[in-house]
Amino acid sequence: MVAAFAVAPVVLVTLLIGLRGVAAMRSTSDFLVASRRISPLLNSAAVSGEYLSAASFLGVAGLVVKDGIGALWYPVGFTAGYIAMLVLVAAPMRRSGALTVPDFAEARLASPALRRIAAVVVLVIGTLYLVPQFRTAGLVLSAVSNTPYWVGVVISGTAVSITLALGGMRAATYVQAFQFFLKLLLFIVPAIWLVVHVNAAVRLDAVHPVEFTHFTRETPVDFEVDVTLELREPTGIRTAEGMATTLPPGELTMKAGRRLVFLDGAPVPGVRGGAPLGGPDWKRPLLDLEDAGYPLLGTWALLIATMLGTMGLPHVLMRFHTSPDGRAARKTAAITVALLSVFYFFPGIYGVLGRVLVPELYLSGATDTVVVALPAQVDTGLAGTTFTALLTAGAFAAFLATSLGLLLVVSGAIAHDLMPGGLRRLRITVFVAAAVMVLLALPSTRIDAGVLVTWGFTVAASTFCPLLVLGIWWPRLTAAGAISGVLAGLLSSSGAIIAALIGPGLGGWLSILVAQPAPWTVPLAFAIMVVVSLRGRPPAWSRAAMLRLHLDEEHHSTRLGHRS
Amino acid sequence: MSKAPKRVAVMSPQTRLAHSRRRARGRWRVPQLHPDDAERALALYQAQRRKGVLALVLMFVLLAGLPMLFSLWPSLDSLRLLGIPVSWLMLAVLPYPVMVLIAWWQLRRAERIEAG
Repeated sequence: MVAAFAVAPVVLVTLLIGLRGVAAMRSTSDFLVASRRISPLLNSAAVSGEYLSAASFLGVAGLVVKDGIGALWYPVGFTAGYIAMLVLVAAPMRRSGALTVPDFAEARLASPALRRIAAVVVLVIGTLYLVPQFRTAGLVLSAVSNTPYWVGVVISGTAVSITLALGGMRAATYVQAFQFFLKLLLFIVPAIWLVVHVNAAVRLDAVHPVEFTHFTRETPVDFEVDVTLELREPTGIRTAEGMATTLPPGELTMKAGRRLVFLDGAPVPGVRGGAPLGGPDWKRPLLDLEDAGYPLLGTWALLIATMLGTMGLPHVLMRFHTSPDGRAARKTAAITVALLSVFYFFPGIYGVLGRVLVPELYLSGATDTVVVALPAQVDTGLAGTTFTALLTAGAFAAFLATSLGLLLVVSGAIAHDLMPGGLRRLRITVFVAAAVMVLLALPSTRIDAGVLVTWGFTVAASTFCPLLVLGIWWPRLTAAGAISGVLAGLLSSSGAIIAALIGPGLGGWLSILVAQPAPWTVPLAFAIMVVVSLRGRPPAWSRAAMLRLHLDEEHHSTRLGHRS
Repeated sequence: MSKAPKRVAVMSPQTRLAHSRRRARGRWRVPQLHPDDAERALALYQAQRRKGVLALVLMFVLLAGLPMLFSLWPSLDSLRLLGIPVSWLMLAVLPYPVMVLIAWWQLRRAERIEAG
């Protein structure tokens, strides 16, 4: 019941704000970029609201429990991306006069083929990012109430597509800006309440991690995803019939939906793919990806993917097109850095408290729910229930805001870039795309959402990041160079991650470069773009097409060859 | 209503839709720059590139250097400030004000170039 009280107001307000955007909508430009009238402060709140997805609201704290303090590098990379955006992309991108990234590619390089390839990349990134949003919506709703998984997925899909189809980008802007402040409030207030209300011993434990070696009470663990446990010693458990028994050492695969009750004093098994909770590796402020033993390389690989990936996320780039001019777009990026910074002070608090209070989540694989699981551990009465409801509402706001932006770019890529049509086709596409995403999310409970989001970031970093940086700053870029670089980046990054998912474990630094390939796929895409471009000859107008992006609007003598 | 209402062309909804569609998907035209604009654009491009590189270098120093620092001096983990390990604070708190400062500084510099 908690969930209904928490989620209903968020969904209703989203729909109401969406209705407000309907009145003023007449053209594709209205729908896709709100006629470019959004002020920097409102726009940066919308950018932040859209960007703070389930991965930020729930995922980072969960990763701290799972992988250790080093997981706090994720939000650092997420924020740093906006500085790169401010320096390299924001103002010139807006000055291109394009409506979408594929539009930009065509305006700069005059290649319809590149436009279509860029639209396909938008679809790939959008799907990799949107499916986990819907999946987490379903999981969180079923964790705090007894609704089945599909209910949350269908509710979020319906709310997002109605809001978007009616109100377009204008509605999305107001919804996302409102949800940024809502999320900020719903994240910070419970965090402060938790820190104040846990007892002093827990606070002390939180900053003095000791390895979680033995259960201190009889602990039931409900497995939310398939988990392989590594039992190092004979381990005492209680069977479903209530009998105490002992499991022999070895590996034990637990299927999603199963429950295992560990006895008081039983040794804690290891989890394949996670750092021992509270152990020496857990405490280190570096991220040892894949347990490869190269924490410095792992941390750098992650930072490259998140920072450069942010710069190439199509739904974020599209938000910059809603600014009235290049200067406003740049200011938007700068304010966004500040807004995100305020938010990202707090996931670490949930993470370190979660390690002390709900360590069993580390075994069950449900670390994503640590944020909503915490209040009940601190207070079993009304206050605990209230804060669980507030955090659930915040998490739901996070899915809605991010999904709105993603659904908008996916629909834009289909109905504006691939099969151009009018406003009505855009609106119909929104519903079709949302339905497809819901259908994809329904069987995806067992997929690790983190892998999909990392995949999306890596594809963005290896395709749009080189395309935008070279397109804006290098006059010699040719269409052939851009096409081969984007294709190479898309295939190498996706290929490596698929190989990591289904292939054999390689071990060592190689396994990092396969699971997190950004450190080599981004340079590869850049290199191929440069080499292929240098072998060809850019058209005579290429220099003018690039310089035009750097000209500030107030000083235009004439607006030749410029469409908006 | 202090001002007279704006004049608008009266047309059927279909016509309006057709017009907006044609504008949104206009044919690609060769980009041209007025010679005065080209000169100013080139100066802006070079100045922004020069200033931008410095801001990016600063950020790379922060993002590549901090993990290196943690790797070289693991003793930062056992040093404590207000009971919290210093290395945790340097990861969870320190980067954000530094990044806000870099962003604000770069914004000011980029805008000053265009003001001139």
